Amino acid sequence: MNKQVVLSIEDERNIGNYIETILMSNGYKTLKAMNGMSGLSLCTSHHPDLILLDLGLPDVDGMEVLERIRGFSNVPIIVISARTQEREKVEALDKGADDYITKPFGSEELLARIRTALRHSNQVRSSAGTEKQYSCDELMIDFDKRLVTLAGEDIHLTQIEYKLVSLLAKNAGKVLTYDYILKEIWGPYADTDNQILRVNMANIRRKIEKNPAEPHYIYTEIGVGYRMKEG
Amino acid sequence: MKTAKKEPMALQTLLMNILVTTVLMVIATIAAQAFFHYSRNSTSVAMIYVLTVMLIARYTTGYVPGIFASLVGVVCVNYVFTYPYMDLNFTLDGYPVTFVGMMVVSGVTSGLTTRTKYQSEMLREREKMLMEAEKETMRANLLRAVSHDLRTPLTSIIGMAQTYQENYALFTEEEKLEMVRGIREDADWLLNMVENLLSVTRIRMGDTRVNTSPELLEEVVAGAVQRLHKRLPEAVVHVRVPDEVLMVPMDPVLISQVIINLLENSVYHSGSTEPIDLIVEKHPDGVEFHIRDYGKGIPSDRLNTIFDGGGIEVNKSGDSHKGMGIGLTICKTIVAAHRGEIWVLNRDKGAEFVFTLPIEGELSEKKHTEQKPEGEYKE
Repeated sequence: MNKQVVLSIEDERNIGNYIETILMSNGYKTLKAMNGMSGLSLCTSHHPDLILLDLGLPDVDGMEVLERIRGFSNVPIIVISARTQEREKVEALDKGADDYITKPFGSEELLARIRTALRHSNQVRSSAGTEKQYSCDELMIDFDKRLVTLAGEDIHLTQIEYKLVSLLAKNAGKVLTYDYILKEIWGPYADTDNQILRVNMANIRRKIEKNPAEPHYIYTEIGVGYRMKEG
Repeated sequence: MKTAKKEPMALQTLLMNILVTTVLMVIATIAAQAFFHYSRNSTSVAMIYVLTVMLIARYTTGYVPGIFASLVGVVCVNYVFTYPYMDLNFTLDGYPVTFVGMMVVSGVTSGLTTRTKYQSEMLREREKMLMEAEKETMRANLLRAVSHDLRTPLTSIIGMAQTYQENYALFTEEEKLEMVRGIREDADWLLNMVENLLSVTRIRMGDTRVNTSPELLEEVVAGAVQRLHKRLPEAVVHVRVPDEVLMVPMDPVLISQVIINLLENSVYHSGSTEPIDLIVEKHPDGVEFHIRDYGKGIPSDRLNTIFDGGGIEVNKSGDSHKGMGIGLTICKTIVAAHRGEIWVLNRDKGAEFVFTLPIEGELSEKKHTEQKPEGEYKE
């Protein structure tokens, strides 16, 4: 079986080893780099299937590594960040990272993010990448018919609300930044004030969640964006 | 009656004074004309002018405009509205009285206005000093709580790790797992404390204010509960927010921290596994967050000091690292920086923590000047 290769660019040895252990015991092959430059060269020489990139690298700014990789490759990249660096997370996502994970993270979370990122990149690569449906617990979205049902009942969403939900569903499991969503739904010249997005999300939540303060399907990552539960 | 220092009147104030005086006098005269036209009663006209003088004294700075208005008022009444009309005649009885009356009214009102302005200046100064002092005390308390609250779990971790290392062969698998679980728990707790401390650095040190942005209430609440569940997956929290979509200005990371601290506090200290209620209510000037547990409540001697870092308790079961110290102090700091209030009370079963966040940017003055008792409690 062809194991997928994950490259981790992480300067802290303990965390690097921790990642290596988790990945190897879950069927991935691993490559380790302790700084940005060696990470870049490993990336070009080995073409990994996914990259875990720590933003706080000693030699080169993690963001720059990200940009450089994105300059020649679409490989899925998950950035590892410390808890309070929201702006960095958003910047990384806007610069092309696929997802982020915050230190300290559990193995479950890491594996889940890796799976999602790999799945989405596989979909993009294969031409049959468009899904027909999203289904998770009681929520079902039929993209062809533009129909949303919750426990069998039709949910009426406005145009914008439907666009929002389907965008999130098509990227289920992956975090989408406010900016990204704004540009996708309202166009590249949209006002950067995301109030309109927030209000729409609040309305959507009232339609599909039992309790808008205990969301089941759409999670808010404060300061960053939204993430929909994987089906 | 204290008089304020005579400050050179700024050009702006002067212009304001002239404007206010002129406008009010014109209105008064027009009103008086109309009044007089319909009723031919000059006493009421005089009353209009007295009222105007009072208003002018109230809304201008200093004594001059009021006195000037009194003069003009008396002249107008005399000249225009009393017999002989359109002529100045000060010999009739009552004029000196009217004039003096108006002057007194104007003087007293001006005096009152000046005094009030002065007093509110003083109050603001005092408030600032109080805040500084409060900050210092809080910082001192914080440092004290930090050294205790951080050192204790660390000691425990080192102890357990050492025991594990040295007596590796002697323990059963279960015991080993138990030790590692204990290490994990203490480490999680430490992390929470560190995050709390990091939160404090987000508060701009200069004026204890925070960078607020309008945030969706339900999202912040949901996010906080989510993060709580990462660390305490078995904690059950029932959340309720108002139906209407509410945007509240706040620093979401800090307020999440407050919610998490209060929830964790309930989990660890209520001594009960019953679900905790997190209810948010909308009030006319802000939102109120209620975190209610159904456990054993707070000992009444601690109610007043619980937010001041005095709450470092050695739990009877020996879990001394789970002191309430830093968490609650930080909650208070954060809530205060948002111009909100935080307090706790005991219910018949369990304790209820409440904190408020104003919806307008600044909390209205009336709430901030009264000292809200920090530990009101019901027996």
